[in-house]
Amino acid sequence: MTPQELVVRMLPPFGGWLALSALALPAGSELRGAAMIVFLAAGPGAALVRICGPALSARPAEGPVERRDPAFERHSDLLERLMLIVFLSVAVVLLVATVFIATHAFSAQRVLLTLTLLTTVAGFCPRLRASPPRTVKGTAL
Amino acid sequence: MTDLSDLPPARPWRGSALWPAAALLASLALWGYAVTHTDVSDLGDFGLVGALHPTFWAGLALLTAGFWFTLRGPHRHPAWAPAYVVGLLVMERATQAVVYPTPLYAWAWKHDAVVDHLLTAGRLQNADVLGDMAVYDQWPGFFAAQAALVKLLGVDSAAQFMAWWPLVSSLLLLLPLLLIYRTFTEDRRLVWLAVWLFCVANWVGQDYFSPQSVAFALHLGVLAIVLRRYADGGSGANGPGAGRPGVGGSGVGGAGGGQRQAVWTVLLTLLVVAIVISHQLTPGMLVASLAVLFFARHYRDKVPLITTAVIFLAWCLTAALPFLSATMPDMLRSIGDIGGNVATGYGATPTGTGAVTTSWVARLLSGSVLLLAVAGVLRQPVLRHRALPLLLLALAPLPMFAASSYGSEMIFRVLMFMLPGAAFFAAAALLPQVRTLAAVEAQGARPERRRFVWLPLVALLAGTLAFVPSYSGKDRISHFPQAEVDLVRQVVDKAPDGSLVVAADRNYPLAFADYWRVDHYWFLDDARQHVDLIVGEPAATLARDMASVEAPGRAYLLFTQGQFADAEMNGLLTRAQLDRIEKSVAASPLFERVAGNSAGSAYTLKSAKEAPEPKEAPEAKEAGR
Repeated sequence: MTPQELVVRMLPPFGGWLALSALALPAGSELRGAAMIVFLAAGPGAALVRICGPALSARPAEGPVERRDPAFERHSDLLERLMLIVFLSVAVVLLVATVFIATHAFSAQRVLLTLTLLTTVAGFCPRLRASPPRTVKGTAL
Repeated sequence: MTDLSDLPPARPWRGSALWPAAALLASLALWGYAVTHTDVSDLGDFGLVGALHPTFWAGLALLTAGFWFTLRGPHRHPAWAPAYVVGLLVMERATQAVVYPTPLYAWAWKHDAVVDHLLTAGRLQNADVLGDMAVYDQWPGFFAAQAALVKLLGVDSAAQFMAWWPLVSSLLLLLPLLLIYRTFTEDRRLVWLAVWLFCVANWVGQDYFSPQSVAFALHLGVLAIVLRRYADGGSGANGPGAGRPGVGGSGVGGAGGGQRQAVWTVLLTLLVVAIVISHQLTPGMLVASLAVLFFARHYRDKVPLITTAVIFLAWCLTAALPFLSATMPDMLRSIGDIGGNVATGYGATPTGTGAVTTSWVARLLSGSVLLLAVAGVLRQPVLRHRALPLLLLALAPLPMFAASSYGSEMIFRVLMFMLPGAAFFAAAALLPQVRTLAAVEAQGARPERRRFVWLPLVALLAGTLAFVPSYSGKDRISHFPQAEVDLVRQVVDKAPDGSLVVAADRNYPLAFADYWRVDHYWFLDDARQHVDLIVGEPAATLARDMASVEAPGRAYLLFTQGQFADAEMNGLLTRAQLDRIEKSVAASPLFERVAGNSAGSAYTLKSAKEAPEPKEAPEAKEAGR
């Protein structure tokens, strides 16, 4: 594992634990708010996208008919990753908060702790490897 | 000009970076000056439009012109267009957060009350406890997350940050919008112009602190993934993988393809579940959009459609069943009643020069963008063919007119859900015609016609400037000064459990505050017959209506400037009628003034026993509720 991979793997959990420790800061402080918002808006999604990344990009996405800019597809894929990181984070926050409120066990600290634990577990999960695409007859391309 | 994407690659940026940067910074500086020199203490009938410092308009016009010339310039750097669009969103969606000391919109305050309820109760409750407001507990996703956010930030309530929600939710929309447009064209001008037009045409105000704002962004996210990852043959239809066996396509590729598709489906499911638990209408719109794609055979993979439909149904038949079973008869009656569903309803008739003018500007803006979209579809056959899924997505929300009135809001919601597709073709109408490579090779490159080249810029300027009155022309209704917030807070905080707060209508801050322990009654929601009774004999009629409150609860009557502005500008009552009602209450021995400031007054019913006997059948009032 390269240092860069280690950073990518551990950054989301680190954001979660940082947000948890930011609870010790005064209520309403900007630093506390920044730690919370950054983690809630990107942490869980980044952890999920890291795990799924290779499988997600195993085949090229649908794109414009005429392609002349070689970087266009790469930029679109990056944009897609960014969208997934943010939107999956939002979705996971909505789901976890709803589960706690529906089970009469709601507290904001529990929501944050759960998200942090999930993100930490995800940080230790291996990435989903992309199986090589095969033809109908089963031979690898 | 040939295909829009064959402009020379932009590299010699450095020398040409000066004027785009200067125009952007100058427009933001003008905006900054404008918002610090705008006085909103006495809004007129034109809302914020009449109060804005003139430099705001100069800044917005400069920003629009700068965007257009940056987009059209041959040496454009790709970063300028996003920078200008973010500048537009700041000017459009952050101005109100900066100039108003309190959050706008009574509906946003209502959502703040729902968050407060979840924090107080710590669990979901049903209609036995919450009455009509229980509907929010059946789609709690957004509110539960906001409740957690309030506590994690350590603020008192969502009111402390919800003024910035329009900017946040609008920035969120940029990601899926860009992805969707980039699926059909490589031309950055078309992509960014479509994004710009979407931003200026999206005046309907669903970007405020609401489940709809988040659900709409997630809805577009799901569509972006489906358009990019679930197409027939994967990248084969349009992309470099065309014709390659085994590449892409949900049904192609054997075990590897199935596994990849399963991973995408898991992520898609997370987004869909988040939509379904947060909002009633958006899952329906999503199912309609996916069905249109599926039945049009561009996207034959049925997994997204079935997944969404199953999750939606599962939620409706379990968590949301109490609300749906109670409203099902009304919903069934409204199916097919297109006229009734399109109508904006009682209490939504713009009254007065300002309200009428801004309403027409908004209609004109929406109509123009839709007409431009039609022009784009007709004028750009190549795009019409290549971006057919986007055209279908623009049409997909239309059948919802026949499904429900959605509280008299269906016309606005349909417009909003149509906009992503419509804005793309509207942008195409303002740009040179797209031709296929084969046509270019056969006919050669044609020089761009120079006639009327200024027309698109004029259209863009007009649309961008028209956004302001459309979006904030009724801020006299939506803005509540701090004094009004303080007055209502004072009444609610003092009210014992079981109290009743009566007001003319629900257009005031904290109108739903503590709704789990304090009841509310807005007499302009009643049948016209009963409203006429109140206007004719205000104090006596209102005292009778408020007499049913049992001790220790008390009955409060609240008059604030937000209610008056709404009643006047939406044609409910005239200012003279409202003044007459308040004067009658103030002079009546049945009421006692308990609070008041520059934004209004609060009265309490002295004793229910002193209320006069009713002169009408009680059903008359109940019927109007």
